[in-house]
Amino acid sequence: MMQTAALALAVPCAAILLGGLLSGIDRRLTARLQSRQGPPLSQPFLDVIKLMAKERMVTNPWQAFSPVASLGAAAFALVFFALQGDLLVILFVHMVGGVFLVLGAMASPSPYSQTASQRELWQMLSCETLLFLIAGALYLTTGSFRLSELSALPEPLLYRLPLLFAAFFFALTVKMRKSPFDLAGCHHAHQELVRGVFTEYVGPYLGLLEIAHWLDIVLYLAICSLFWATSTPAMILLPLAAFLAVIMLDNVAARLTWRWMLGWGWGAAFVLSALNLSWLKG
Amino acid sequence: MSEAIPVVLLIVPFLAALACFVIRSSACRSFIVIATAAGLAVSSLLLQGPLAPDAGLRWAGIIDPVITGGDFLLLAIMFFLGCRYRNFLIIMLTASQLGLFAWLEFFVFAEDQGHALFAVDILSLVLVRVVCLVGGLICLHAIPYMQAHEQHQNLARSRQPQFFAVLLLFLGAMNGLVLTNNLAHFYFFFELTTLCSFLLIAHDRTEEAVGNALTALWMNGLGGLLLLLAIWGLYSQSAQLDMGGLVAATAGNPAALLPLALLVLAACTKSAQLPWQKWLLGAMVAPTPTSALLHSSTMVKAGVYLALRFAPAFAHTLLAQGLMLAGGFTFFAAAALAIGQRNAKKVLAYSTISNLGLIFACAGIGTPGAVAAGILLILFHAVSKGLLFLCVGTAEQQVHSRDIEVMRGLCAQMPFTGMIAVLGMLTIIVPPFGMLLGKWLVFEAGADHVVFYLMLVLGSSFTLLYWVRLAGTLLASGQTTGFKPEIKPFLTRFPLAALGCGAVMLGLAAPILYGRLLVPLTSLFPVGRAFSAGQAGMLTTAVGSFPLIVVFAVAALIGLLALSGVSKAMVGRKGTAYMSGANTRLPDHFVGPLNRPVRAVVENAYLVPLFGEERWTLWVNLAATGLLFLMLGGALWK
Repeated sequence: MMQTAALALAVPCAAILLGGLLSGIDRRLTARLQSRQGPPLSQPFLDVIKLMAKERMVTNPWQAFSPVASLGAAAFALVFFALQGDLLVILFVHMVGGVFLVLGAMASPSPYSQTASQRELWQMLSCETLLFLIAGALYLTTGSFRLSELSALPEPLLYRLPLLFAAFFFALTVKMRKSPFDLAGCHHAHQELVRGVFTEYVGPYLGLLEIAHWLDIVLYLAICSLFWATSTPAMILLPLAAFLAVIMLDNVAARLTWRWMLGWGWGAAFVLSALNLSWLKG
Repeated sequence: MSEAIPVVLLIVPFLAALACFVIRSSACRSFIVIATAAGLAVSSLLLQGPLAPDAGLRWAGIIDPVITGGDFLLLAIMFFLGCRYRNFLIIMLTASQLGLFAWLEFFVFAEDQGHALFAVDILSLVLVRVVCLVGGLICLHAIPYMQAHEQHQNLARSRQPQFFAVLLLFLGAMNGLVLTNNLAHFYFFFELTTLCSFLLIAHDRTEEAVGNALTALWMNGLGGLLLLLAIWGLYSQSAQLDMGGLVAATAGNPAALLPLALLVLAACTKSAQLPWQKWLLGAMVAPTPTSALLHSSTMVKAGVYLALRFAPAFAHTLLAQGLMLAGGFTFFAAAALAIGQRNAKKVLAYSTISNLGLIFACAGIGTPGAVAAGILLILFHAVSKGLLFLCVGTAEQQVHSRDIEVMRGLCAQMPFTGMIAVLGMLTIIVPPFGMLLGKWLVFEAGADHVVFYLMLVLGSSFTLLYWVRLAGTLLASGQTTGFKPEIKPFLTRFPLAALGCGAVMLGLAAPILYGRLLVPLTSLFPVGRAFSAGQAGMLTTAVGSFPLIVVFAVAALIGLLALSGVSKAMVGRKGTAYMSGANTRLPDHFVGPLNRPVRAVVENAYLVPLFGEERWTLWVNLAATGLLFLMLGGALWK
C-alpha cells in the first residue's frame, strides 16, 4: 500500500523531469539540424516556470477547468502504467486528457482555436484507434490486457507486431505534434492557426497543458517500450530511437493537410494494424 | 406481498392511463401522472426476485382471457389503422398476424400446465427499475413540456389527455413485457408498445408525423410477425410458452435455431437496428418526452431485453456469431453516421442505435461476462440518454431549433440545462462513469474476435468524437460573467437533476451489480470463460481489471481541484478571444472593412461528404441486411 502511494507520487514527478528533458533535447537537436545553437536543456522547465508565474486569464471558465483535468488524467494514466495495470483502462484514462483539451479549446469563440479543435478531434481519433489496436494485439499475444503478463513473453512483441509498430510510429508523430502532422497546434506560433488548440490558453493554464503534453509523450514512449519488453536496454533504446526518428522526420518533412493525415496516414496505419492483428489470431 | 407487486406494476399504469384519458382537468392529470410515477418508482424498488414458481397463477383465469382478447383488439386496431391510411404493407402484416395468432390460439396452444405467470430475475429487475424510474422521471418532465408545447399549436381542444394516457400505458406495457414469463403474453405487450409508439409519434398530427408513425407501425408490425413465427417455432419444439423453460429446453437444440433467429430479428426491428433504423430516426418528429421514452427506457429496450433473455439458448452457435457481427457493425456504422449529423436529436438517435448494437453484440458474444456487460449498458444508457433527450428538448423549446450550430454557446444562455447536458455527455465517454465501464467490459469480452474488435475500436473512437464535439459546441461562448440559472418549473429541473445525479453516481454500483449479475448468468450459460467477481470496488474480468473506486476517487479529486481553479479564474481579469488583434467590444466579433464589427463564424466540420447519411444509408443498410442474412444462414447451418 505504502509502496503504491510512493509510486503514485514518484512516477508523475519523474515523468515530468523526463518529459521536460526530452523536450529540451528536441529543441536542442532541432536547432543543431537547422545550424543554430539552440537553448540549454533546461529551457523547457524555465519556460513552464515563467508561464506558471503569469496572471490567470480566461475567456471562458472551462479554460481553467480543462488544463487541470487534462494534466490529472495524463499523470493518472502514467501511474497506472507504472503499476502494470490493464492497458485498456490506461488508454481510457489517457483519453480524458485529450477530451478536456478540446473542450477547453472549443469553449472560446476564437476561430483559431475552434478550427484547430476540429483537427485535434481527427488527430485524437487517429491516435486512439491505433492504441486500442495495440491493446488488442497485447491481448491476442498474452491472453490478457494486464501489462504484468507481458514480461512472461519469450520474445519481443516487435517480432510479431512489425506492422503495428509502423502504425504506432505514425501515432507518435501525430501525438508529438510534429511535422508532417503538426496540424492542430505545433510548437511554433507561426502556423496559419496561430497555436491551434493552445491559442486561447494563457499563463499558468498553458503551463499546465505543456506539462500534460510532456506526460503524454512519456506515456507514448512507455507504450513504445512494450514492443521490446524482454530486455531492459532495448526498453530504453527502442523508444529513444523512435523519439529521435520523429524529430528527424519533423525537420525533413513539410506539413501535410489533415485530410491527408486522416485519409492516407491513418487509413494506411489502420489497415496495417488490422492485417497484423488478423495474422496474430491465426 | 411480493407476488402482488408485479400486478401493481402492471395494473396501476393502465388504470392511471384510463383516468388521464377520461379526466380533462389539467391539474388532476398532473396529479395522476405524479402519483403514478411516484407509485411505480416505489413499487419497482420494493420488487424482489425470485418469485415463487407459481407466481400469479391464481390470477391466470382472469389475465389469460384478457390478454388474448387484448391481442385481437390490438391487431384489429392496427388493421383498421392500415385501412384508414391506405397502407397496404400494414394491412398485409396485421392480417397475417391476425390469422396466424387466431390459428395458434385456437388450434395449437394447449392449456397451460401451471407455469408461473410472472418471473423476476436480475435482468427483469434492472429493466423494471429502468422503466419505472427513468420512465417516471420522463413523464414528470413531460408535464411542463407539453403545456409549453401546446402553447405554440393553438389547439381548440387540448390533446394532452391522450398523450399522457398513452405515455402511462407505455410504462404499463413495458412492465408487463419485462415481468411476464409467458411468451404469448410477451407478444401482447410487444404489440402494445408498437401501437403506443404509433400513437405517440403521430401525436402532432402533421403530415410528417403521421407518415413517420406509419413507418414505425409497419416496421414494428414486421417485428411482431417475426416474433409470432418464432413463438410458433419454439412452441413446436418444446410445447411450452414458459420463457425460462423455453431457454433451457432450446439450448443446444439445432432445430430451434431458426425460430431463435426469427426471435432475434424481431428484437432487431424493435431496437431499430440497421437496416430498420428509419423508424427511430423518424420518431424524432414527436414531442421530446416521446423520443426520450422510446430511446432510453422503453420500446428499444424491449428488443435488447428479448435478445439478452434468450442469449443462453443460442450461445456459441453460428447464429450468435452472426448477431455479434451485425451488432458490432451497427455500433460502428451508426456512430459514423452520427458524425455527419448537425441535428442534435438525430445525433442522439444514431447514438442510441449504435449503443443498442453494442448490447446485441453482447448477446451474440454469449459469455456470462458479455451478457452482464449488456445488462449494465442497458441501465447506464437509459439514464444518460434519457437525461440528454430531456436536455435537448428543454433547449429546443428555448432556441426553437434542433440544429447543433444554433445551440452553440447554449451553456451561456441556459447554464443549468447546458451544464447538465455537457455532464451527461461526459458520463457517456469518460471513465469512471457507467457507459464507459460497460464499454470496457465489452472490449474485454469481445477481444477474441478480431473483426468484431476492429469494429468496436472504430465505433468507440467515433462515439468519442461526436460527443466531444457536441459538448464543446454547447460550451462555446465568450461570456465569462453574469451566469444566471434560467427560470424553469420544478418539474423540468427535478428530472434533469435526478437523472444527472444518477448518471454520475450509478457507475459506482457497477462492481456490485456486475458481481450479482454474473452468478445467475454463469449457471445459465453452458460454456463460458472463467471469471472472478473481484474485490470490492474493483471490476474484474478474466482478462483485466478496472480499479473503479480508485478511478472514481481520483476523478473526484481532480474535478474538485479543477473547480477550485475555475473559482479563482472567475475573480481574475477576463480575457478576450484572439482575433488577430482586431477585437471589438463584442466577444466574438472582429474589426472588418469600414471599421464595422464582423462576427467570426466557425462551424464544426461535419464532413457530410464523408459521413453524410444521404450517401451512406443505402450501403450501410445493404451491408447490415447481408449480415442479418448471414446470421439467418448461421441458424440454418446444421
